[in-house]
Amino acid sequence: MPGIGIPPLEANLPPIVKRNYGKWISHQHPRPGVIKHDSESGEACFTVRAGMPPNARISTQTLRTICDLADEFCEGYFRVTQRNSCEFVGVPENRVEQLIARLAEMGFPVGGTNRSLHNTVCCTGYLHCHLAATDPAAIMKAVSEMLLHEFQNDCLPAKLKISGSGCLNNCGESSTADIAVIGVHRDLPPIHAEKLKGCELPLVISVCPVGAIRPKGPGMIEIDPKRCVHCPACSVACAAMAPIGSPDGDGVAIVVGGKAGNTGDGPAMAKLVVPYLPNNPPFWPEVTAVIRKIVDAWSANARKDERVGEWINRIGWEKFYERTALPLSFKVMDNYDARALECAKPNVRFTW
Amino acid sequence: MEAIKLCCAKCGFVVEEYTSVELTDNPRKAKRCQYLLQKSSICPSCLASGRLKEVRTQVDDNAIVGAKPQPAPGVAAAHEEHPQSPTPMMDAISRGSWPSHAAELKKTHYPLQMYEQALQKRATQWGYGGYVSLPGVAAGVLVRASARPDITKGSNFLRIMDPCGNFFKTDAMRGLCDIADKYAYGLLHLLSTGGDLEMLGIPTENLKPAVDEITALGFDVGSTGDDYRTSEECIGPAKCDLPLYDTLGFREAWYKRFLEDVQYPRFPHKFKCKFAGCPNDCVRGGQKADVFVCGVFRDLPIVDQPKVAAWVKGGGDISTVCTRCPGGCLTWDAKRGLGIDGDSCIRCMYCINKIPGVRPGGDRGVAILVGGKLRGKYGPMLAKVLVPFMKAVPPDYKEVFDLIERITAVYDEHARKKERMGDFLLRIGMVEFFRLVGVEPSAQLFDRPRTNLYYHWEPEEVNAEIAQRNIAGQSVSKE
Repeated sequence: MPGIGIPPLEANLPPIVKRNYGKWISHQHPRPGVIKHDSESGEACFTVRAGMPPNARISTQTLRTICDLADEFCEGYFRVTQRNSCEFVGVPENRVEQLIARLAEMGFPVGGTNRSLHNTVCCTGYLHCHLAATDPAAIMKAVSEMLLHEFQNDCLPAKLKISGSGCLNNCGESSTADIAVIGVHRDLPPIHAEKLKGCELPLVISVCPVGAIRPKGPGMIEIDPKRCVHCPACSVACAAMAPIGSPDGDGVAIVVGGKAGNTGDGPAMAKLVVPYLPNNPPFWPEVTAVIRKIVDAWSANARKDERVGEWINRIGWEKFYERTALPLSFKVMDNYDARALECAKPNVRFTW
Repeated sequence: MEAIKLCCAKCGFVVEEYTSVELTDNPRKAKRCQYLLQKSSICPSCLASGRLKEVRTQVDDNAIVGAKPQPAPGVAAAHEEHPQSPTPMMDAISRGSWPSHAAELKKTHYPLQMYEQALQKRATQWGYGGYVSLPGVAAGVLVRASARPDITKGSNFLRIMDPCGNFFKTDAMRGLCDIADKYAYGLLHLLSTGGDLEMLGIPTENLKPAVDEITALGFDVGSTGDDYRTSEECIGPAKCDLPLYDTLGFREAWYKRFLEDVQYPRFPHKFKCKFAGCPNDCVRGGQKADVFVCGVFRDLPIVDQPKVAAWVKGGGDISTVCTRCPGGCLTWDAKRGLGIDGDSCIRCMYCINKIPGVRPGGDRGVAILVGGKLRGKYGPMLAKVLVPFMKAVPPDYKEVFDLIERITAVYDEHARKKERMGDFLLRIGMVEFFRLVGVEPSAQLFDRPRTNLYYHWEPEEVNAEIAQRNIAGQSVSKE
């Protein structure tokens, strides 16, 4: 029966961590994918970070192999990072290379530390979700494949985080990433009248962010096609309004410049730069081409320690669009209610 | 003991798996096995229609069914070698030098055609989903219907709360693998972006036994629906040299105090708490959390001048750090060392991250921010400061948890149904929320004062202010 809570803290901590809990004084990056932490006791802890399949979606068979590796190299413990990498903590210094070779045999590249591409994060998409407008897992696989060199080497101006979400629900935390893809629908949600009885209509009306859903006689609703922003809010609240989307209507938008930490220009949500690209499985070439352009422009022009968003803040959006040669569209400007003027320029500080 | 596998006659995909003991002991399972054998069905993997093939193998009496790496006889081979593979898209995604989720799916019981067809048709094949309760399990179970009943009936999954720091002992992880093999697809989602571990594809009748075995293993389920979702913390003192409070201990204490609210939904909408050890915010709590507890320090960073000088001498890039300092407050002089201007330092951690020998200053505590979210009604919003500084005192962190409880109580009472914290704040205004929670104004609470000059006074406020002035005036005239 539930009610026991999470396992006690000590149960899953490796011995080296228990010995030095709270005593770490500095860390270094001896090579890409390896972090060395020094403790005030003089002990050093080597961590090897490996990329995992997109969405941290892993079979028990592979997981058992990871467990075997953890048993062999680091006393039977491993951890999963916030960015879905797999970390082997407390590997003896002389066995680090051996572990990296074993991971390579398994097909797990090592990297994603310091000034490199950190592992991608995405939602389940087509794998297991009824709202997905695209399949971020497959896109992230293609992107990781394309940027494998950037993952394995410290060759970028600053860390680079790439995420993907299948719809505007943003479960893949697209808005927090330097560059992210997000699935967009362009169709109106359907109204299956026969299923509406099972829905809480006032709730369906109130969850709509733009007030596009209105009552239409008893037990019936209508959608204002001029107002709808194609978010899945009503599809989540009511089974009669799902599924939203169609193969040719759905696609991918690209956002850039999200960041969490308080360094540099501080935390920021990502901004929309490409409003729509078509779905083109299995490799989404249009999407990966745009990401390639942004990464190339950023890594060629940004200063050291300048994240994508900070680089854009310094050079301005005019230069961003010039350097990346992305097409412009008014869709990237907000035009709703109180935010209607938010994206308009209030000065003449242009760059040409 | 014999293992009985019902496989697709064409590709060998294992549709169901029983032991001979199960079939003799459990009439329901025996009946289902007979039914499946007699019925013509469509293979979830290659879509071939026809009767299933029964494969019997001898297994060790002590072995758990499916506990060994999923053998799936001939499935992998069929997918690779078959000239007309039933899953061409997935095969394409399986190749390459990055580990592939499609290759992982093939090693499990996941109905491959659900994914393959989605890719081919460019539309998801799953149907409506949501959260359900079982007797005794109020939260933690998710159901997903299938829009393709010809491939699969739909699937359920369990949300398991991660241990602190996302560290796993391999024994515990193998235990979870055993449960996933025995009851589910044999597929795990190791870390959802909410911070849980998810076990996918559990048939409805297996949900309760699976939950029982998971709790017997020392893990617990929860974190679905309108309750506190699993709290996430950064790696903190376990493997980081920067944390300003014990994030792992804080999370453990949080669970001791709030476990009931993680497992029994009762709020207007989901509510996420995230704990970052320092302003680097590795959990992205400022963007994702309804309540974000962030470690902060008030004294200036502590500089170990000889260590900094040694770093510079060894090739440390001090000029980049000085130029990139957001407050522009760093100065470097070979003789005088590293200087920090106290007026413009915003305690952002940049110099601390980059220069060995600069450490966070003293007078440490936590800041509480509220209303971060990525979706909700009005889209992504950054969290806003509610309390700029308070002490986090172990072991029970009473003061901080009392505040979290007060915030939740206000939210619970005043927010509308399905309104996230951020949307609620946007509707009532931050000032009203300060009043409801009971926060005194301080300069750290605002980004900048208003430019719009239309503002409101309550008549009582005006009268009180006049009365105050009159009293002061009278006392002056008396003197």
